[in-house]
Amino acid sequence: MTRRRLALVGAVLLVAACVERLAAPANCPDFCPSGQITIVDTLLTSSIHRDSSYRGYLLAYQSALMLAAHLPGATDTLDGRPIFRINGYGARMALTAADTGAILGADSARLQLYVVRRDSATRNLRLQLYRLPITIDTGTTFGALVAPFTDSLVRTVNIDTLLAQPGRKDTVTGDSVVVDSANHRLVLSLKLDTAAARYIPTDSGTVSYGIRIAADTLASIAFGKGAFGPSLQWYLRVDSLGTPVARKPGALGARLASFVFAPPPAPIDSTLAVGGVPSAHSLLRVVFPKVIRDSSQIIRATLYLVPAVPARGTPADSFVVEARNVLADFGAKSPIDLLLGDSAMIHPGATDTVKIEVTNLLQQWAADSTRPTVLLLRPEREAQIFGEIRFYPSLATAFRPTLQITFVRRFPFGAP
Amino acid sequence: MTHRTGWTIALLLVGPALTGGAIAAAQDSQFGIRGLGTPGRWESVRSRSTGGAFGPFDPLSPLMEAPLADLGQLTATAAGYTSNRDVVVGGTTTPLRTTRFPLMGVAGPVAPRLVVGVGFTTYLDRSWDVILRDSFMLRGVLERYTDAIASDGSVADVRVAAASRLSRRIAIGAGLHLLAGSTRMTAERRFDDSTFSRVQQAAEVRYDGFGLSGSVLIGVAPGLSIAAWARSDNRLRGKVADTVSAVTDLPRMAGGGILFAPSPNARVAASVAWRAWSRAGAGAFDTWNWSAGMEFGPRRMPIRLGARGGQMPFGPGTTAPTEAAGSLGTGRAFAQGRALIDVGLERLERSGGGLTERVWTVLVGLTVRP
Repeated sequence: MTRRRLALVGAVLLVAACVERLAAPANCPDFCPSGQITIVDTLLTSSIHRDSSYRGYLLAYQSALMLAAHLPGATDTLDGRPIFRINGYGARMALTAADTGAILGADSARLQLYVVRRDSATRNLRLQLYRLPITIDTGTTFGALVAPFTDSLVRTVNIDTLLAQPGRKDTVTGDSVVVDSANHRLVLSLKLDTAAARYIPTDSGTVSYGIRIAADTLASIAFGKGAFGPSLQWYLRVDSLGTPVARKPGALGARLASFVFAPPPAPIDSTLAVGGVPSAHSLLRVVFPKVIRDSSQIIRATLYLVPAVPARGTPADSFVVEARNVLADFGAKSPIDLLLGDSAMIHPGATDTVKIEVTNLLQQWAADSTRPTVLLLRPEREAQIFGEIRFYPSLATAFRPTLQITFVRRFPFGAP
Repeated sequence: MTHRTGWTIALLLVGPALTGGAIAAAQDSQFGIRGLGTPGRWESVRSRSTGGAFGPFDPLSPLMEAPLADLGQLTATAAGYTSNRDVVVGGTTTPLRTTRFPLMGVAGPVAPRLVVGVGFTTYLDRSWDVILRDSFMLRGVLERYTDAIASDGSVADVRVAAASRLSRRIAIGAGLHLLAGSTRMTAERRFDDSTFSRVQQAAEVRYDGFGLSGSVLIGVAPGLSIAAWARSDNRLRGKVADTVSAVTDLPRMAGGGILFAPSPNARVAASVAWRAWSRAGAGAFDTWNWSAGMEFGPRRMPIRLGARGGQMPFGPGTTAPTEAAGSLGTGRAFAQGRALIDVGLERLERSGGGLTERVWTVLVGLTVRP
């Protein structure tokens, strides 16, 4: 009986303890809480200081793409040329499990290239393939390849013409193109004859090529690297006891894939440079007011940057500048916090003030007072675009970087 | 049931309040948002079913201590309310619903002529949630937003009371009141423009205070009793993260009642109470409240009727909001009177400052006499 009574009391307690939420439209000020959410918007015009730029984070050969461009400008022409080297099989090739034969040469070869970025507005896009010295390496410069890019042309392909062919296949040259619309890629397959694809056994069959492009307008494309990089399918003649036999070994990928370009980027000066190749970063050190850090919630923060010169780059290749926090302030070698980032799109030629919403980053500063209050600006895709922008630094009083912060004061909880 | 089991039930009932974990909240009101809160009603379901008129004479209502003197055995009680409230303002009606657990107590004789009771009831309910649509200029653009400001919690009145019947006609009582509780407050703002992050702030506000009360119950004649009580609370201190956010003076209050029982099956009562809430500051008013009610029929299953009226302590403008209510109820005794279930229904209307609240409240109470 006692247990039943206790159970009854318990059941009543449980049922009665339920509480629903009460949500009613406010009728202010008569029937509203006395405390209100107070929003403050402030412009920090002099809080950014000790800003600086550094270049050299990613070099051309470290880029995920090979950039090709030919864009005449007012003073100079931006000329980007992919270069790649494909090592061969050596001087001999296995014929059977026991026998090898000397490679006599190549009947032909098929070069596959991935065009991973192009402007569909480009017209009459032409691609010229040059044979380069097999000695090219990561340190090869544009100037060192002027001669081979002048006298070693092996093939010319008009991509627009090829795309217009039935089946996108040129029956005369043997070239073809596949349009991967899902991934926005073109897969070029170029047939190289014996003259264009010379397998020289004494060089172990190593070949190097360079690409120049031209178009009526907007000649700027990017070729893939790695899994989407150049590959060469050789069709070889191999000596088998005095008799030449045909062999089709597996396709070979590029051991070196890079690009050279001119003109080189302008040296770092007092402006805040972001982008380009090799890529440049800028650091902005911020004096973060205690009143915002300690007793408020940041709901929006915007970084304003005024370009010192029009953004450079190929007109079709707008690029993204991102702002990130750093884990520690070690200047140029500050480790970047990859967790959060805010960004803004930069259009080459534009001189408009760039606004980057950095709310996430400043909220992180407010939440963790041990974090350095440093903003790092870098291109989102490092060394994958020629684009570069330079902003006025904090020394330029009239155009210095500024932060606009909208924050909420602490709600007066507990006030009657 | 053993004496030990009885105190076990008592601890079950009162323990949560003493540890601060109980949700002790009473009927909410928009009139409490601007002020300290909505004062609780210190009445059992039986008293409330009579409009509160029986409160000064009901040993299970925490209004007065003196009636405890007539408790002959250990008794525990608890009450639960469910309210459906329509808030009418500016021609718009918003339906709201709450379920509360505002009253628990246990009392029993500990010595000849001495009865002790402990329990808690709601002193101030501070549960509300308001939603506001508005806009303002921010960064040169008209930004629209929705605010949701909510408070969930209450200030409980934990009472330790003692009462003694000095003679056949006179009983007296006194109580010590510890005011304790907390509210979980949140303030949230969502901008229509998603470039602004959502504002979300929260804090727990803890309250404490102290009060003393005394009461007397006099049997004037057979079937006729009068009661009087007085209480003084010092101040309510609010703390946020151990920092005092507000100190508000609490009211002194007094009241009385009269009970007439012409026959064993009929009882009529009336009561009045005055509370000096204006001490709490601007927007607070002294209040008068009255009630009248009757209970007829056998005690095993009586019928109760009541009405009450008066003022609310907090509201806009220069005059206190008013309230009026009618109620009815009944009860049923089980197990040779060892368990009682009381049920009631109350219709309440509050108005003031252009706002009207109409509330239906279902009351359920359980009393156990082990």
